[in-house]
Amino acid sequence: MKALDGLDPALEHRARLAISVLLARHGEISFAGFKQQLDMTDGNLGAQLRKLEDAGYLALRRDFVERKPVTWYALTKDGRKALHRHLAALRDVIATAG
Amino acid sequence: MTRNEPFQTDQLQQDLDYVAGAVRRRDRPVGVPAIYFLWAAIIAVGFALPDFAPEGTGPFWLAASVGGGLLSWWLGARAERRSGINDRALGLRYGLHWGIGGIAFILTFLPLLLGRVPVQQGGAQFLFTTGLLYALAGVHLERGLLWSGLLMLAAFAVLTLFALPYTWTISGVVIALSLAWAGLSARRAIAAGACA
Repeated sequence: MKALDGLDPALEHRARLAISVLLARHGEISFAGFKQQLDMTDGNLGAQLRKLEDAGYLALRRDFVERKPVTWYALTKDGRKALHRHLAALRDVIATAG
Repeated sequence: MTRNEPFQTDQLQQDLDYVAGAVRRRDRPVGVPAIYFLWAAIIAVGFALPDFAPEGTGPFWLAASVGGGLLSWWLGARAERRSGINDRALGLRYGLHWGIGGIAFILTFLPLLLGRVPVQQGGAQFLFTTGLLYALAGVHLERGLLWSGLLMLAAFAVLTLFALPYTWTISGVVIALSLAWAGLSARRAIAAGACA
């Protein structure tokens, strides 16, 4: 199916897609925030975040909240563009399938 | 769904349901319980003043509106950092709503300041402005504020139509109870996994 070619491999996993969509919607989310939203284990969540980071789609910011270290994640410009492209491809896939 | 597997609409449907579920989990914030309790206390005291110590009403609301606003902002920012979601767009929406509310309060105060309306009528106008702000916050920001806003508007109607004794105090108690109830509901929702 030609529409599938537009899909981004880094965003094909549903957890990585959800992470990107949540970041596009809310701006910045911490590791704990993702855990609450996505109901994932630390290991799985960390692995999915690492893959997006390696793809250059995530920017990290380290901070302290009530003296505890917190890592905040945000979409990079490339990440936002990739998400828009991926969502457009998904719409094509759905239109083709429907 | 991976590239090498045959395309499966069921899998895609499940993936999109998962993403939609994650997004909807924070679709509408339930609010920060401490802010509800703070304003329940301020309103209970501030609304009783016109009946029992009218001379203290102006100074109290001047201090309470500024102090309460700043404390609410700090409590909201703290709750957001604790929740792990730093949503600047939502923060801006809150800031705009309550910032415009501040302007509305100043404009409501203007006729009183210029002596164009009696104090009792001018005071009731504050209730109308506050009721409208709370009700609209309930529509656009946090559902828990809707009922408090509607109660304020109902109290405004009662104050305007009837000259009942202790109307301000009774209105304040009713609004404070509705805010406390909203705070308790928010606390329960957060304990159940919702986002402040």
